[in-house]
Amino acid sequence: MLEINELRKQYGDVVALDGCSFQVRRGQLLGFLGPNGSGKTTTMRSVFSLVRPDSGTVRWQGAPIDAPIRLRFGYMPEQRGLYPRMKVATQLVYFARLHGMEKTAATRAAQHWLERLGLADRAASRLEQLSHGNQQRIQLAAALIHDPELLILDEPFSGLDPIGVEDMMGILVERAGQGTAVVFSSHQLDLVEDLCEDVVIISAGKVVLAGPIRELRARSSHRYLEVEIATNTGNLGRAFPGYEVISSHDGRIRLRVDDQTPLEPLVRSAAALGRVRQFSYTPPNLSEVFREVVDQ
Amino acid sequence: MSPLRSILLVAARDFKERVTSRAFQLSTGITILFVAAWIVVPAIFFDNKPDTWTIGIIGEEPAGFTAAVETASGHAAIVTTTPYDSRDAAETALDDGDIAMAVDSSGTVLVDNGTSDQMQAAVVTGLATISIAQRADELGIEVTDLADLVTGGYHVESVAPAGEADTERGRIFAFFVTVVLFMSIVTYGSWILIGVIEEKTSRVVEVVLGTLRPHQLLAGKVLGIGVLGIAQVLAIGVVAMILLPLQHAFQIPSAAGSVLFWAFTWYLLGFAFYSVAYAAAGSLVSRQEEAQNAAFPLTMMLMAAYFIASFSITGDNPVLRIASLLPMFAPMTMPLRVAGGDVAVWEMALSLSLMVISVYGLMRFAGRVYSGGVLQGVGRVKWKEAFRASRS
Repeated sequence: MLEINELRKQYGDVVALDGCSFQVRRGQLLGFLGPNGSGKTTTMRSVFSLVRPDSGTVRWQGAPIDAPIRLRFGYMPEQRGLYPRMKVATQLVYFARLHGMEKTAATRAAQHWLERLGLADRAASRLEQLSHGNQQRIQLAAALIHDPELLILDEPFSGLDPIGVEDMMGILVERAGQGTAVVFSSHQLDLVEDLCEDVVIISAGKVVLAGPIRELRARSSHRYLEVEIATNTGNLGRAFPGYEVISSHDGRIRLRVDDQTPLEPLVRSAAALGRVRQFSYTPPNLSEVFREVVDQ
Repeated sequence: MSPLRSILLVAARDFKERVTSRAFQLSTGITILFVAAWIVVPAIFFDNKPDTWTIGIIGEEPAGFTAAVETASGHAAIVTTTPYDSRDAAETALDDGDIAMAVDSSGTVLVDNGTSDQMQAAVVTGLATISIAQRADELGIEVTDLADLVTGGYHVESVAPAGEADTERGRIFAFFVTVVLFMSIVTYGSWILIGVIEEKTSRVVEVVLGTLRPHQLLAGKVLGIGVLGIAQVLAIGVVAMILLPLQHAFQIPSAAGSVLFWAFTWYLLGFAFYSVAYAAAGSLVSRQEEAQNAAFPLTMMLMAAYFIASFSITGDNPVLRIASLLPMFAPMTMPLRVAGGDVAVWEMALSLSLMVISVYGLMRFAGRVYSGGVLQGVGRVKWKEAFRASRS
């Protein structure tokens, strides 16, 4: 288990981390969310001692992280980069060996990942000769090549096309299934909601919300009501006076209501508008939960 | 994984990536060709082989003529003779340039404008020697040593102190190594400078630094590129050594064992020191364009070291003495002092200690500056700020 405990870091007057704490179990796939500048990257870098926190601890399986433990981690930084002129297979072997693997095992692992990613025929190409998407795949392989116990990925989905996103999701789910602790940051919250059960939301260097997505949604004091009227495609904005309208267009309206609000008057108002095609009363989705806690 | 293994992995990568690159192979090939041409071309056009003198003989050739003339020339020439039937035939040959001089056994030596004074003197002396030997023999004097007979037993003896010539040769050798060191640093220092910035420009640095410490990365780079540089110097040196005998006049500077040992030791130390210093300069910047600016103070230091060495080639002086203790100047000045033979043991020990300490210190310093600069995304760090940052 990775335990991040009360991390604090200040750059001059800027507070990057203000007592950030959370945990990740082995086999858990954790979405690490937060607006830009909230301290996600600084937290991730702290795990690899790329940043030295002013205070707080990072522990793995109960022990402070030292150099040999760190070699069992995999990292895909937000700023992607490998050696552009180095051959793809040679490059992967190099990273495997930097993580302490022996030469033969490293060569085998490089071959395995190139086959897995469908790039076996590019083994002898220089990295710079590959397409952007394929370079991203190699970057992922470089983080996975040594079969890490903990995998940390900073914005792994940015810059990927839909097929690339799907591949990446598949690999992350698979790694977690094999017992790796996986932490990734992303701004694509729909995707996070599809991909993982647990999230940590950080804002201004502090964790503001953490837990299973389903619970976080249910725990919200708001509910969302979505109504679609088949026979009225106009603007329904004024049909529900006294309620907070989130959006309204083409016979659809989305309202935010308190979770204690009685539903009957709303059902009646909807029925009065025409033939109801959809009437849904749901907890907020992840984006809405995110906005609720971050906007404060 | 041990720190040494990390360093060796980085070194091996930097070495292999460069040695297999087209650019490196091309530049090595061109340099070797250039050096070879520099040796071979003068050897072809300015032949330093002993002259061949072709001398015409009219009548009977005096016994032992060629040997006597070669001895008289100080063995600067190989003598061959061509017989002629008449004086007219010899004069024609002389005129045509077939021979440079002719000896008529009737008692005349024929010369023309093509006859050098050296040749004329050697031939006349040679004939005189033969003549003296003949007369002595006729008088019943037993000749054991012809030279002794001619010079009357005198021989030349140098009264210059025996060590002085050795010291001089030693200094020239030491300075020769200094010049090679200077050129090596200028060339490979910039390779290291560019190599250190490479990880930053390709942004691979964060992945790499997730697995090892910055000073290990820098040490590996310095080692990999440094070994490559020394291998290239050796390759060029070997080619030069093979070709140099073509130039007959060239003599490889030679020196006593201790001078040889210290010259090469300080070459390696100097190379290490400046390589690490260039790595430190590279750690200050994040873009290739800024590299030369960051390295400017080092270039100045290097020039100063070179000038101190070249002004001190004739002998010891106080500036040389102080410079030989300071790490940035010692590699170029200490070998000169060793050749002069006046280095106290404590001076050598102090100089070596300061050197080793400063190489290690620079490496740690560079490592800290490197990681700080990379992750905060700053452009160029000033030496002074970097030093302050490295202590905090």
